[in-house]
Amino acid sequence: MVDIALTVNGTARTGSPEARKTLADFLRDDLNMTGTHLGCEHGVCGACTVIVDGRAVRSCLMLAVQAAGSEVTTIEGLAPDGGLGTLQQAMWDSHSFQCGFCTPGMVMQATAFLSDHPGASEQQIREALSGNICRCTGYQSIVDGVLLAVERSASPDPAAPHSASPDPTTPPNRER
Amino acid sequence: MAAIAAERYTGASVKRSEDPRILTGAGRYVDDIKLPGMLHAAFVRSPMAHARVVSVDVSAARALPGVVAVFTGAELEEITVPGPDALMALIGLDGPTPEFTLLATDKVRFAGDPVAIVIAESRYLAEDGCELVEVEYDDLPPVTNASFALDPSSPPLFANLGDNIASPHSRSESGDVAATFAEADRVFDFRIDVHRHQNVPMEGRGCVASYDADRDFMTVHAATQSVHVSKIAVAMRLGMEQDKVRVVAGDIGGSFGLKIGASREELAAAAASRALRRPVKWVEDRGENLTASGQAREESFDVRAAVSNDGDLLGLDVKMVIDTGSYPGLGVTVPETVEAMLPGPYKLAALGFESTAAITNKATYVAYRGPWASETFVRERILDLIAKDLGLDPLEIRLRNVAPRTDPPAVMITGRPLVGVTSRESLQRIAELVDIPAFRRRQAEARAQGHYLGIGMATFIEAAPGPREPGGPSGPLGTESMRLRLEEDGIVALFTGQMPHGQSHQTTLAQIAADEFGVPFEQVRVVVGDTDVVPFGLTGGSRSATMTGGVTLHGARKLKAKVLDFASHLMEASVRDLEIVDGRVGVRGDPASAIAVGEVARRAASGQFGPDVDANLEVEAAFDGGEGGWSGGTHCAIVEVDVETGLVSVERYVVAEDCGALINPAVVDGQIRGGVAQGIGAVLLERTAYDEDGNCQSATFMDYLVPTACDVPRIEIEHLQTVPLDADVNFRGVGEGGMIVAPPTMVNAIEDALSPFGVRIYEQHLPPARILELIAAADPGQ
Repeated sequence: MVDIALTVNGTARTGSPEARKTLADFLRDDLNMTGTHLGCEHGVCGACTVIVDGRAVRSCLMLAVQAAGSEVTTIEGLAPDGGLGTLQQAMWDSHSFQCGFCTPGMVMQATAFLSDHPGASEQQIREALSGNICRCTGYQSIVDGVLLAVERSASPDPAAPHSASPDPTTPPNRER
Repeated sequence: MAAIAAERYTGASVKRSEDPRILTGAGRYVDDIKLPGMLHAAFVRSPMAHARVVSVDVSAARALPGVVAVFTGAELEEITVPGPDALMALIGLDGPTPEFTLLATDKVRFAGDPVAIVIAESRYLAEDGCELVEVEYDDLPPVTNASFALDPSSPPLFANLGDNIASPHSRSESGDVAATFAEADRVFDFRIDVHRHQNVPMEGRGCVASYDADRDFMTVHAATQSVHVSKIAVAMRLGMEQDKVRVVAGDIGGSFGLKIGASREELAAAAASRALRRPVKWVEDRGENLTASGQAREESFDVRAAVSNDGDLLGLDVKMVIDTGSYPGLGVTVPETVEAMLPGPYKLAALGFESTAAITNKATYVAYRGPWASETFVRERILDLIAKDLGLDPLEIRLRNVAPRTDPPAVMITGRPLVGVTSRESLQRIAELVDIPAFRRRQAEARAQGHYLGIGMATFIEAAPGPREPGGPSGPLGTESMRLRLEEDGIVALFTGQMPHGQSHQTTLAQIAADEFGVPFEQVRVVVGDTDVVPFGLTGGSRSATMTGGVTLHGARKLKAKVLDFASHLMEASVRDLEIVDGRVGVRGDPASAIAVGEVARRAASGQFGPDVDANLEVEAAFDGGEGGWSGGTHCAIVEVDVETGLVSVERYVVAEDCGALINPAVVDGQIRGGVAQGIGAVLLERTAYDEDGNCQSATFMDYLVPTACDVPRIEIEHLQTVPLDADVNFRGVGEGGMIVAPPTMVNAIEDALSPFGVRIYEQHLPPARILELIAAADPGQ
């Protein structure tokens, strides 16, 4: 066992994982944060992606002890009040996901990418997400969600993007 | 206001109520469950494809600190009930069936066959324990392909069968096969192969089994397409009464046919939990998923086609061999459906069909999204091959052969009426959406510059649920049940046997119920995944749109009638004068009289009404599919093949399809796109590969390639939405069609691109290396 201290979603955390324990298992088992999913445990599918010190990281390929002293952000920490951030809201509005298993990794990967490329094009988004596997959607709805987030982030008027949604298959929920 | 009041949720792309939890990491999947005292399981698996188990030494593993127990196959056999695949036992197949134990005992039958289960305080320690188990094997010749399996000299995998045939060879004929072939101008012979590939949900199989010894009661937290089928399997294999087993499920990370019922490993984990009287979790890793969870599709077809000189496809005579792998399950039933569906929407006059199911030393054949899909691949592939030889256009040969929409409808030569089938319309619509003459001009210009573009199309029908059978329900799986209740907080609760794993039932069923009952969408709760409270059901076979959509519609009306009947006593008004609008019951034209439906339910529960008033605001509903009907459509792909590298890129993919009325267009489009992506993957990337010794060569995501965001194009979808068949329920299923028709669409486009080389394609898997081989081997004179 190795004593570590790190920051997870803005909160100081400590733990004593085995040296061989992955960051993903530490988050899920030791900290009971099960939003981070394991889809392959060999670094290909991206479901376990979290943000460590500002970079998207496969938490199945990183040991918990390597995260000592780091700042880790997981899907649970994107909108701490339990609401949805801009990207999550855009993905909801775009019907981005189906089964939801790849979702945490996809959202974290896109979050890290957009922070460096706030005006990304569709092709850039596809390339940025090409290391995250989704088996349900064919990706179009996910890419549309990220594009909608780009559009809304660029628009100063929070009401405008809804009416400007380019995809007729993803209208906002109608009001009653 | 009037316009808004007239609006309905049904038919709108209502945002999914599943998403807030999924987008915040608050989904609850089986691996997220943690019970007090829970142990973790891992399996010792065979490295050999076919071998006798001489000895299993678990002493070192048992001695490892943290390991709680190790069960060998023989030890587990003592505490469980051997038998055939539980689902097969439910269906009840004819003929001898291989009986097998949960873990291998006397022999192993594929590389990955579980030999022992190690239970420990953590998954890490359980895997450490597996490393210490010593198994001595005695090699047997591996049966790695169907042709060897069917050779009488191959060693039988199951002693009680005596050979490697899972279901006996059978032949049947529809129409006059001999006369049709005798009268044909031309008879073509083809050999078409479909390769082994697999479901690959992002979440693999898994369960947490928790046995309560005081009550002799088993609770299994499962990832399954049917909690009830899982429950039956657990009770059967553990020798328990069914009322002593409860199966529950939360969110499920995809399945595509893989998770029907409980697998051998899940049942072994449950048996271990009972023996140890502690909860046991097993969650497979990706290596187990790719090598041992199950695989699909490996089938070959010898096809004779009787054709007129004008391009009429008159008859087919087909010999199918299916490689069901070891431990035969659902694969055994696939040929029958392939036969029934082979005519598709075409005017075929005769079909001869024979099939053999072979048992081999590979992982078991499982259902995968449109399990019978090879019928569409074979038919749509040979239509293009025939068209080429006759000098016909692919669109022309299809329009010539599809059955026209008539009253009464044309009947497939295998028996089912093509009621409401709009294949011709979808073909014509594709021709409009894709300007084919303009493409041909562009194709010619591109070829002159060394760019090889191709166009391909394919059409299909999907029994979702299928037409009404005389005297019976629509579709093969019988009626769908639902319990509906008005709760005292005003919630309309739907208890359904559907087990969503991405299909958005929590949203789509609530849309229908909200409209029919008269409450806001947010006031409907869809309850799934608990054998104690939901009726029998199964999510699969593209059946829920019609069957569950239909039972929701009729059930909500039934519940509404009951609530109004009770309210008529409560409000001392005639039922005919009452309505429910926006969650309030009131007298028509007198909004001030209205009271909330929750208040009605509370009054009903108050006990102040006598026995002459039915105050139980709960109904049971069943739906037989109504008039049922087919989904279907035509897909078209435009691809470019780089003839130097063999890489195929998809420039455009267009869908014209008809699944009747849409409940939620965004959900429907998502199902279609996801299926198409899997079909594109099947052709360009995915293959489950075994070497000649039966070792699985595709055990990681570096070897089994699934499509990424850069491999799947934007998919254009147009819905035809024609032909109402039923007075109320015209939603038809759409889950499987994309995966059924995308493979022939893609292969047809690739062959078209390579036509200057004379390439003819008789297979489905076309990675770059294979494309280059086909070009090198082709005869440009063709």
